[in-house]
Amino acid sequence: MSQSAAQYRLIAEVKIRRESFGGILYKYGCADRGALSFINSPQLIELLIAGQQQHNGDVSAAIESSRYSEASKQRLYSALDDLVKRGYIQVQ
Amino acid sequence: MTEFVRFMERPGRSPVHPNALAAMQQTGEMVPQKQRGGSQRFLQGGLSAPITVTWEITAACNIACIHCLSSSGHRRPGELKTEQALALVDELADMQVFQIHFGGGEPFIYPGIWRVLERCTARGLVMCISTNGTLITADRARRLKQFEPLYFQVSLDGGTPQTNDSIRGKGVFQRALRGLELLAAENHSLTVNSVLTRHSFYELDTLYEIAESFNARLRVTRLRPSGRGQEVWTELHPTKEQYREFTNWLTAHPDVLTADSFFHLNAFGTMLAGLDICGAATATCCICPEGEVYPCAFFQAPEFEAGNLHTQSFREIWQTAALFDYYRKMGGGACSGCGQYNVCHGGCPATKWFVHRQLSIKDPECVL
Repeated sequence: MSQSAAQYRLIAEVKIRRESFGGILYKYGCADRGALSFINSPQLIELLIAGQQQHNGDVSAAIESSRYSEASKQRLYSALDDLVKRGYIQVQ
Repeated sequence: MTEFVRFMERPGRSPVHPNALAAMQQTGEMVPQKQRGGSQRFLQGGLSAPITVTWEITAACNIACIHCLSSSGHRRPGELKTEQALALVDELADMQVFQIHFGGGEPFIYPGIWRVLERCTARGLVMCISTNGTLITADRARRLKQFEPLYFQVSLDGGTPQTNDSIRGKGVFQRALRGLELLAAENHSLTVNSVLTRHSFYELDTLYEIAESFNARLRVTRLRPSGRGQEVWTELHPTKEQYREFTNWLTAHPDVLTADSFFHLNAFGTMLAGLDICGAATATCCICPEGEVYPCAFFQAPEFEAGNLHTQSFREIWQTAALFDYYRKMGGGACSGCGQYNVCHGGCPATKWFVHRQLSIKDPECVL
């Protein structure tokens, strides 16, 4: 996908926490089998937290409101595409 | 050595039982950072707080399963009072624990359960209640709608009354189905939780259909030889052939949950979805009714008690317990040189301990 026009939105059931290596994402519920993901990019974790806390889950808005270089934006959108595949983010 | 003794004598820091210490040290050195594979890269050393905490809130239970991991039955004298339980909820929320998994015993027998759920809701903690389903009434199912996010696991250890009731007690199958029915009527998020045994293996498809009929997901978990499970493990644990077929069955049913408890089956060569390593003391831990904290719900051995909430805070135990320090640094033991170590990480430590009182051996259910 990697389109900045698309809206990348965290699903409601995702919890995020910073860790020393970056952070973790957890799809909660009586869930498992892929509910937990380790993210070793502090930049991505900060972006997701900003999206969740300041933009009501809209991670695209968090990217666009920050001063990322075009190259950084592309890397972040690419990472978000991976999170779409893993079910943490929906594209609208 | 002098330093070690001083370390152990720090006030408030529970000493490690010598048998536990010896068993952990026999596993050898922790795998070096560069050689860690899969989830181990992130989990070895432990997270800043658990992701989920299993909280066995009472030992009281109205049924007596023959494989009960905590040997539940009667309420225990030192069980946490409601005010202590509420303070614990606050502490877990402050630490950013994501989810509390209430078990027991039967959580609905704990007198303060409603206030505890209320506090969890107020603090944004995700709740999952593992229940035998027999105490669910229409009124309770309705009242429970006020709490969120709340999930239920109702236990069925067989797809027929014969198989289930031989483990969980006479008449429990029908009563659990009634509980499921009442919860489903209120649109609660449900899973049917089933411990895989040599007998229930033949009823997996039936269990799947039962879960489906309540708009629930099936969750199949591994039988551990802990609590009363020690007495029946030899008789009930699945055979290697059953495990091989089960691996294929799981692959064909990706919507079935497993609590990531079958990662030892990765050694067959098919990677199951989810964690490929035990999360005990690193991503999860267990709080027992009298405040004891253990690496996980299946490792309730007195030698492996990391601390007690009657004398220490949960944060202190998670961050400083000597037992957790050693546990998080364990090596691969006999599995270190195995070509499959990076996909199963030696299997379940609790199973090793309860079967052979060692941790340096391979998992007693190793499939290689």
